[in-house]
Amino acid sequence: MTNDTLNVPERLVAFLPNLRRFAISLCHSRELADDLVQSTCERAIAAADTFVAGTRFDAWLFRILRNLWIDHLRRARTAGPQEDLEEAREVSTPSGEAASEARMTLLEVTEALQKLPEEQREVLVLVCVEELSYRDTAEVLSIPIGTVMSRLARARKNLAELMGISGEEKRSSNMKGDVA
Amino acid sequence: MKKHEFDDETLMAYADGELDDETAAGLEAALEADEALATRLAVFLDSRAAVASALKPLIHEPVPEALLTSVRHMAEKAKPVEDVRARNVIAFRQKQAALKQPLRSWLIPVAASLLAVVAGLGGFMLGREIGVTGSDAGAALTAALDREVSGSDVTLGSSGETLRVVASFRDEHGDLCREYERRHHGVSTVSIACREAGTWVTRLALSAPRAEGYTTASAQETIDAYLASIHAGAPLTPEEEREALATFR
Repeated sequence: MTNDTLNVPERLVAFLPNLRRFAISLCHSRELADDLVQSTCERAIAAADTFVAGTRFDAWLFRILRNLWIDHLRRARTAGPQEDLEEAREVSTPSGEAASEARMTLLEVTEALQKLPEEQREVLVLVCVEELSYRDTAEVLSIPIGTVMSRLARARKNLAELMGISGEEKRSSNMKGDVA
Repeated sequence: MKKHEFDDETLMAYADGELDDETAAGLEAALEADEALATRLAVFLDSRAAVASALKPLIHEPVPEALLTSVRHMAEKAKPVEDVRARNVIAFRQKQAALKQPLRSWLIPVAASLLAVVAGLGGFMLGREIGVTGSDAGAALTAALDREVSGSDVTLGSSGETLRVVASFRDEHGDLCREYERRHHGVSTVSIACREAGTWVTRLALSAPRAEGYTTASAQETIDAYLASIHAGAPLTPEEEREALATFR
C-alpha cells in the first residue's frame, strides 16, 4: 500500500517466520529450508525492483522460493525421495498441550503430504496453509487457475485417501474446529 | 435435482470460500437434503483442516539465529538511501524530533517490514497511529497502561471504549512492553506499546476485524512476527507484572 516498492530487503526480516514455514512445508527438512530461505532472500534483494507495488509481498516471495526449490529438485533428482523419515517426523510435532491423539493424526498428515507429487503438495500448502486465493496461487505457480483447482482437488482426494479421511465419521468434529 | 450437479471442484471451492454467492446458496440448499453430497464436501473441509493444523504452527518456530543474522546483514547492505521513516503509518517514536538520537537500527527494518506483512495479508488494516499521550483518551489510556494488570476489561474514561491488556513482556533492551486491545463500536485495535523515557510509545497498531472475541489468524501471525522481531521475552508472570507496574507509582 504505502510505498510498496521501498525497502524490499528490510521487509524480509519480519517475513522470515512465514517464508521459513513455507520452505519447511515444501521440502520437509529444516536445514534445506533454511538454505532455501537464505537464497530466496538474496534473490529477492537482487530482484527487488521486480516487485510490483500493490501486489502481495508474500506471493512474490513464495514464487521466488518455490522456483528455487524446483531448481533444486531438478538438480537433485538422482537422490531418492523421502530418504529421511526421521526428519519428516520431526517436521511438525505438535508442541505443549497437544494431545497424543493429535500427535498421531499430525504425523499422518506429514507422512501423507510427503507421498504426494510435488505439484500437488505445493498447491495444497499455498491454499490451505498460506491461505492464498486460487488466483494468487495460479500466479505464484505460473499456471492457469483451472489447473490450480484440478491439482488441488486431486491433492485433497489423495491426501484424504492416504489418511483415511472418508468425510463420514469425524465430520462433525473436524468441520467446526477452526484450525488457525 | 440431479445427483451430480455439483462436481468436486465446486465442492472444494465452497470449502475454500472461493465459490460465488449464487452457486454457494444453491449448494447449501442441496446439502440440507443430500447426505452423500455433505460427505463429499467433508473430504475437502477435513483435508484442509488437517493440512492447516499440521503445518500452520510452524510459523511460531523461532528463526535460527544464523539465518536471521545473515538476512539482516543482507538487508542492511542493500538498504536504499531513501528514508522511509517519515512516511510510515506506524510512528514508532512520537518524540523522535525531541530525542535527536537516531532510531535504533533494528527498528527501521521492523517498521518497513510490518507494512509489508500487513499489506500482504489483507483483511485488516494498519490503524492510524493513535496518540498515546496528548488527548484526554490518551491520558486515560496511559493511566490504564500504568495501572491495569493483564486479563481484565476496563472502560476508558467516558468514551465507552474498552481496554483489555493482553500481556506484558520485555523487549530485547529490557523495556517493558504491553500488548493490549481496544474496542470501540465493534472496531478492535490490537496494539503494542513500550515504556520508553517515561512514556508509553506505541510500536504497533493493527485494526483487526474480530470474530467473536478472537484475533484472526493473520493478525495473530503479524503480531507474533513482530514480537519475534523485537526479541520479546516470555509474557511476565502476574507477580513480575505487578512488580513492573509498581515502579510507575
